[in-house]
Amino acid sequence: MMKSKLAALAAVAGLSLGAALPAAAQSGDTLTTIQERGSLLCTGHNGSYLGFAEVDDEGAWQGFDIEFCRALATAILGSPDALQIVPISWAQRFPAIQSGDIDVIIKVTGWTQSRDTELGLQYSRPYFIGPFYVMSQTELGASSIADLEGGVFCVNAGTTVERVLADYMEANSIDYEPLSFESAEELRSALYAGRCDAIAGFGPFLASTRVNAPDPEALTIIGDVIQLEPEGIVVREGDDALLDVINWMVSALLMAEQEGITQANVDEIRANPPSPSIERLLGVSPGVGERLGLSDDWAYNVIRTVGNYGEIYDRTVGEGSRYQLPRGLNNLWNNGGLLYPLVLD
Amino acid sequence: MTDVVTPSEHLPPPQNTWGEWIWKSFFGSVSNTLFTLAFGAFVVWVLSSVAGWMVLDAVWRVEDRDLCGHGAGACWAVIEDRWRLIFFGLYPYEEQWRSSIACLALALTIVLSCVPKFWSVRRLPVLWLAGFSVFVALMRGGFAELTLVTTEQWGGLSLTLFIFASVFLIGMPLAVVFALARRSSFPVIAKGMGVFIDVVRSLPLLAILFSAAVVIPILVPDWLQSSKLARVIVAFAVFFAAYQAEIIRAGLQSLSEGQEEAALSLGMPYWSVILDILMPQAFRNTLPSTINQAVITFKETSIVTVIGFFEIMASGRAVIGTDEWGAQFVEIYVFLGLVYFVFVFGLSRYGAWLEKRMRVGHG
Repeated sequence: MMKSKLAALAAVAGLSLGAALPAAAQSGDTLTTIQERGSLLCTGHNGSYLGFAEVDDEGAWQGFDIEFCRALATAILGSPDALQIVPISWAQRFPAIQSGDIDVIIKVTGWTQSRDTELGLQYSRPYFIGPFYVMSQTELGASSIADLEGGVFCVNAGTTVERVLADYMEANSIDYEPLSFESAEELRSALYAGRCDAIAGFGPFLASTRVNAPDPEALTIIGDVIQLEPEGIVVREGDDALLDVINWMVSALLMAEQEGITQANVDEIRANPPSPSIERLLGVSPGVGERLGLSDDWAYNVIRTVGNYGEIYDRTVGEGSRYQLPRGLNNLWNNGGLLYPLVLD
Repeated sequence: MTDVVTPSEHLPPPQNTWGEWIWKSFFGSVSNTLFTLAFGAFVVWVLSSVAGWMVLDAVWRVEDRDLCGHGAGACWAVIEDRWRLIFFGLYPYEEQWRSSIACLALALTIVLSCVPKFWSVRRLPVLWLAGFSVFVALMRGGFAELTLVTTEQWGGLSLTLFIFASVFLIGMPLAVVFALARRSSFPVIAKGMGVFIDVVRSLPLLAILFSAAVVIPILVPDWLQSSKLARVIVAFAVFFAAYQAEIIRAGLQSLSEGQEEAALSLGMPYWSVILDILMPQAFRNTLPSTINQAVITFKETSIVTVIGFFEIMASGRAVIGTDEWGAQFVEIYVFLGLVYFVFVFGLSRYGAWLEKRMRVGHG
């Protein structure tokens, strides 16, 4: 135990120093720990993150990431309430998972090589494809980023966005004048006041910035995707059993959407399954749970509790929410998106 | 013969009335007049636009929220809608009455301990023990009909007050010990404490708290671990004590050595010399700096946001972390500023009153 703790400490030290340390494998079986504890420790965001982790007027958590926390708690423990949301800041998320404060990170965490290898973490398959866009003042009449040549681009200091934008502009040899701000609020004020010709940022952030502008019509999101960031669910290296559960949970949510199974009709379809793979998915024929160390009806419970992927998306960030974020690349493969379920055999 | 000036020969001092003084100072010359008019207009303009934004054009009710942001003034509807989140954080909604009573109990304890009647070695500890017990029992629950609420769910103003009060109460005795150790006649203790204080002071508070919250659980075996909140408060208290120890040491050094020598030669025991002769004077002399340190500590409690606690600052930011009220960040920060102002201004005025009462600086 001590050895694994030292390894984890080394990983934390590596994180803070930015040094390249060999991957520190932490042996351990978090899935069993969660089952014995009877609750899942999942990430919230202190200070909150629009659409993904928010606090409502009664202090309850909600949002896209929170729905995935609830889905995972339901898959493993059978109830969305067997969940403890631990408020965690950006800087704290990796040390916190190393120290065991949380079991998983579900917090729009981009899948990068250094995190995957040096920090001793393991990523699930992406559960969200994060697009970075540029939003400009409508009066400039720009229809592509190239039209904004020479303009003032505002970004948040020290974020991925700053780097992503610089890469894109260099690759396309577009001149621009970057202007950084410490906080999202400052950035918004500067944009509304007309100090910026455009801002670059994560899709959901741009959408809400636009909705909240004094005049939303004055701002236009330009269609060019400057970068994709695949967001994965993070566990400690060596937590293979838990990672399997997470990957198949994401797959089950996507499969449910592909097959038209919703929160509302899941009972009906379960009583009368149209195909053998749906029979397996909903636990009518056995096997789907046992291989993962779960009950056979885990996927049925998840769909009954949170709905399929599309329902979660619409409710939290999509059409049914205030953010109105288009599905875009987060659609299923047969709708022009990048997401697909795995094969259930 | 010396020149004796009789009082009657003094000219009376010029008897300026207020009106004359104002006239002379502000409109005495052409440039003065111009400057007064320009500056006066500027002040009137600033005040009227602030008043217009904050009061006259403000939107007060949630029902009128559609008016917000469209040229109107401040949108105080956000406070009406989310004040419970700001004051209680993630504390379970139905149980928030407990948090408010606990908060009142703690505030009452702080106020009472500022009253001279309670300043005795017996009364003060009893008061604080009672205040803290009521606070923790109510907040934590887990007995009788009260459901258990772990410290991870504490938040808002009550968490801010709890952190401040605990840091002050643990830190103050610690600071006295540190200061005495640094003046110890054993070189090892004195030098060692000197190095310790300097090391703690040269580390940023953020780094200390982050280590307490994140690194200690990795190093320390499981059975020795306390809650994250407890670790953070202890680390914060040590940091506070390192600064406060230097303030107390300055107070001790301002006393003449003769006092200590005289007391010892009278046969007073060491602890009595410290507690009855030196400390009261040292505290009195350093009162302004101590109040200063307390004010700084109160404001620094917001740093715990970074390690995931939902104290009042983080709760306020959670309000603007939803799209529904995302545009009202100015209102939220102004409101949070006012809350801090009430406490810090209260603390400062209390300090000023205390100085007057103790006649600090008047022997």
